[in-house]
Amino acid sequence: MDRRSAVPDREVAQLIVNSIEVMFGGQAGDGSLTTGDLIAGVFKRMGLEVYTYKDFPSRIRGGHTNYVIRAGERRDYGMADAVDGLVAFDLEAVQAHIDELRPGGFVIFDNTSEVVDGALRRSDVTWYEIPLAKIAKEDLGLELVRNTISLGVLGALVGMDPAIMREDVTAVYKRKGEKVVDLNVRAIEAGERFVAEHFRAMPSGYALQAKADGDRLIMMGNDAIAFGALVAGCRFMAGYPITPATDILEWMSKQLPAFGGVVVQAEDELAAITMTLGAAFAGTRAMTATSGPGQALMTEAIGLAGVLEIPVVVVECARTGPSTGMPTKTEQSNLNHLIYSGHGEIPRVIVAPGTITESFELTATAFNLAEQYQLPVFVLTEQALCQSKATVKPFDLDAVRIDRGSLIADGEVVFGEYQRFAFTDNGVSPRVVPGVPGGMHLAAGSEHNEAGVITENARNRARMMEKRMGKLEAMRDDLPRAVLHGVADADIAIVGYGANTGPIREAVDRLSEAGVPVRFLQLRTLWPFPDDDIRAFVGGAHHVFVVENNYTGQLERLIRAVVGPLDALHGVRKYDGRPFRPIEIMEPVARVAQAGERMEIS
Amino acid sequence: MAMLTAKDFATATPSWWCPGCGDYGVLSALKSALAELGREPKDVAFISGIGCSGKISGYIHSYAFHGVHGRALPVATAVKLANRDLTVIAAGGDGDGYAIGAGHFVHAVRRNPDITYIVMDNQTYGLTKGQASPTSATGYVASVSPDGNPDTPINGLALALAAGATFVARGFSAQPKQLVAMIKAAVEHRGFSIVEVMSPCVTYNKINTYAWFKEKVDDVTARADYAPADRLAAFDALTREGEIALGVIYREERPTLEDRTGLPALPIAKLDITADRDRYAPMMAAYR
Repeated sequence: MDRRSAVPDREVAQLIVNSIEVMFGGQAGDGSLTTGDLIAGVFKRMGLEVYTYKDFPSRIRGGHTNYVIRAGERRDYGMADAVDGLVAFDLEAVQAHIDELRPGGFVIFDNTSEVVDGALRRSDVTWYEIPLAKIAKEDLGLELVRNTISLGVLGALVGMDPAIMREDVTAVYKRKGEKVVDLNVRAIEAGERFVAEHFRAMPSGYALQAKADGDRLIMMGNDAIAFGALVAGCRFMAGYPITPATDILEWMSKQLPAFGGVVVQAEDELAAITMTLGAAFAGTRAMTATSGPGQALMTEAIGLAGVLEIPVVVVECARTGPSTGMPTKTEQSNLNHLIYSGHGEIPRVIVAPGTITESFELTATAFNLAEQYQLPVFVLTEQALCQSKATVKPFDLDAVRIDRGSLIADGEVVFGEYQRFAFTDNGVSPRVVPGVPGGMHLAAGSEHNEAGVITENARNRARMMEKRMGKLEAMRDDLPRAVLHGVADADIAIVGYGANTGPIREAVDRLSEAGVPVRFLQLRTLWPFPDDDIRAFVGGAHHVFVVENNYTGQLERLIRAVVGPLDALHGVRKYDGRPFRPIEIMEPVARVAQAGERMEIS
Repeated sequence: MAMLTAKDFATATPSWWCPGCGDYGVLSALKSALAELGREPKDVAFISGIGCSGKISGYIHSYAFHGVHGRALPVATAVKLANRDLTVIAAGGDGDGYAIGAGHFVHAVRRNPDITYIVMDNQTYGLTKGQASPTSATGYVASVSPDGNPDTPINGLALALAAGATFVARGFSAQPKQLVAMIKAAVEHRGFSIVEVMSPCVTYNKINTYAWFKEKVDDVTARADYAPADRLAAFDALTREGEIALGVIYREERPTLEDRTGLPALPIAKLDITADRDRYAPMMAAYR
């Protein structure tokens, strides 16, 4: 998107303090991810709030990749409106991203073997051209360290703390030995020296003022999900590697054995989900994690979990579909799939975290809901959240409680009296696991009676359907509630969820500060759909915007089903595989607001 | 506890198989084997697939699981990992194991979990009323192959051997005594054991009948010089034209999946998951 027209010109002389978005652009496999993580870490230790976004190709070596690191003073935001500083390791990075640069921003360009001219060479940004590869090769003896040189350049231009940079580089390369650490420290120095020698008269216009780091973490969404699962007592995971969910499988495989648990790399997603069912049937808290294509394969077995009333947690890290789509890009196009997929009808729950902290908390909650109500629970996240890092406060571990519902893992039951699928008020039957004396029964995907015996009796079938589906109503009070952000009584309302929570919150804050009050309902339970919350929230609004990353307006249709035809319901949709920037939400809202009342976008 | 008998594994549910079905012999042998091994019903997890043979889980008094078509093995593998104290048996037909579940079959074999897999092979699809199965002979005439099955039948046990099976046996449902002994040996084997049972379909398969099998079966263990530790001999026995080798055809000891994943002695399902609280907070330090 061309940012030149969307954002008013900034006075170049005005120094921007503690607000910067840096994009690292180069070829996949050239080490820019490591350097991007380093920058994020330095920003964090300087007391800033950080959000990162990986925009990398679905290949290991080669192909354009970029890594965005945003630092600011407010937590839980996403991407900024535009890129402030582009670190371009090749011409391709300039070609791909020069239009995303804010006027008054800057480019650090490796001009070892390429030149930027013509229209690409924007005159409203500052160009820092440096032969990074040449310096790396000739002065330091290793071309790869041009990344670290660029870190030194960037640090000197925007005021990153030199001591923290050195400490972090040392920490990252420590395991590769003293020589590598020394090489990288010298690379930082080379970058700083180049700035001192050549760019003294060219200030970047950006400055950072370090604050106390405080007690904070910087964590990726997928790590938070995995950690949440561990703390919730998950001790079995089966999965099949798939982007962008693999991080969870990797994290669990490193951690679970030390807690007596196990991770299985399955042969496919059919096995991953049925293994998860098997482990849960045997009494273990169990999960799998996948993305759209794997989710499609898991569909039949999730129906089985529904009818067998087996508690399983399925994490869906959504990516761009259909089919292979764009595996490393974000989208919210799998909501319908999670709600409706499967033959027959089962009760299911979908929770959707909007922040890294919620990724931890809602995953832990998912395990309780699964066991309390004996059904499959989805944790729905997206590439733009699950593979992004952000600064967060340490998680409140004491707030995680473990409620295993009516599980009978010890003790015994009386055979003949005990009924695994007994009809109860809330549809939840006491659950035994193999090994419990007296609890022997058949768990059959075929329709069955209270004792588990297969039957096609009409009356029993109807009651069993009511028992299972009735759990959805019984559980309403236990579901994660939607969160209201912004100005509670504003005329303009926005509904959204997941990775869009950050950009929407920023849009809401900035619109409200500019005199256009906006309220935002962040949905955290997407199924059973929170009809009452939606009805209450939409009531009284003059305009409702539904912000989502898909083409057909999957969330908007769910809302329309609750509130009926509503002219004032507007879809704000993005389906190019990239997360929203706040300006893309502010603009359509401002247009509608301006029709009645003048306003300014900050 | 008093000595167990086959009756201790009987369910009140009447069987839905046709009179004369080979699966009755398998069911009866299974119940006897479990009783003779002294495995209590509460400690047996019996996982089956879909199809006529898949119904067997409903007839074995145990913790029984009748899931989706072709996926008995991943379920059984995970049940064993979650609670290694259980005796875990998976069962299903040739379609369940060698067609829709073939992918899981080779991977379960190579993982070598300590479970037993019973494949009831009737060379046809019974519950969908008689189509060719992956073990039907080439030329087998059936409802979806009216001009004869164009495909080559799969050799499930040779496939298992190639995938690294540690216990390979074949029985015949009309030879109950041998079958009971075979199943007992399979359950006692540490690792993945497969027992393929020739289990004639009296309704749809008019070719591979009891009489037909009786002509072809050859008990390899009756041969004085047969060594089940010899993989090449096992391949030879399994691939001889016109003969159906019976008996324990191959066995070896190898670390199980549970061994190789370093699973502790305490079953995962018995862990106190509220006990690790103090260990979580230090883990956050890596993210500071």
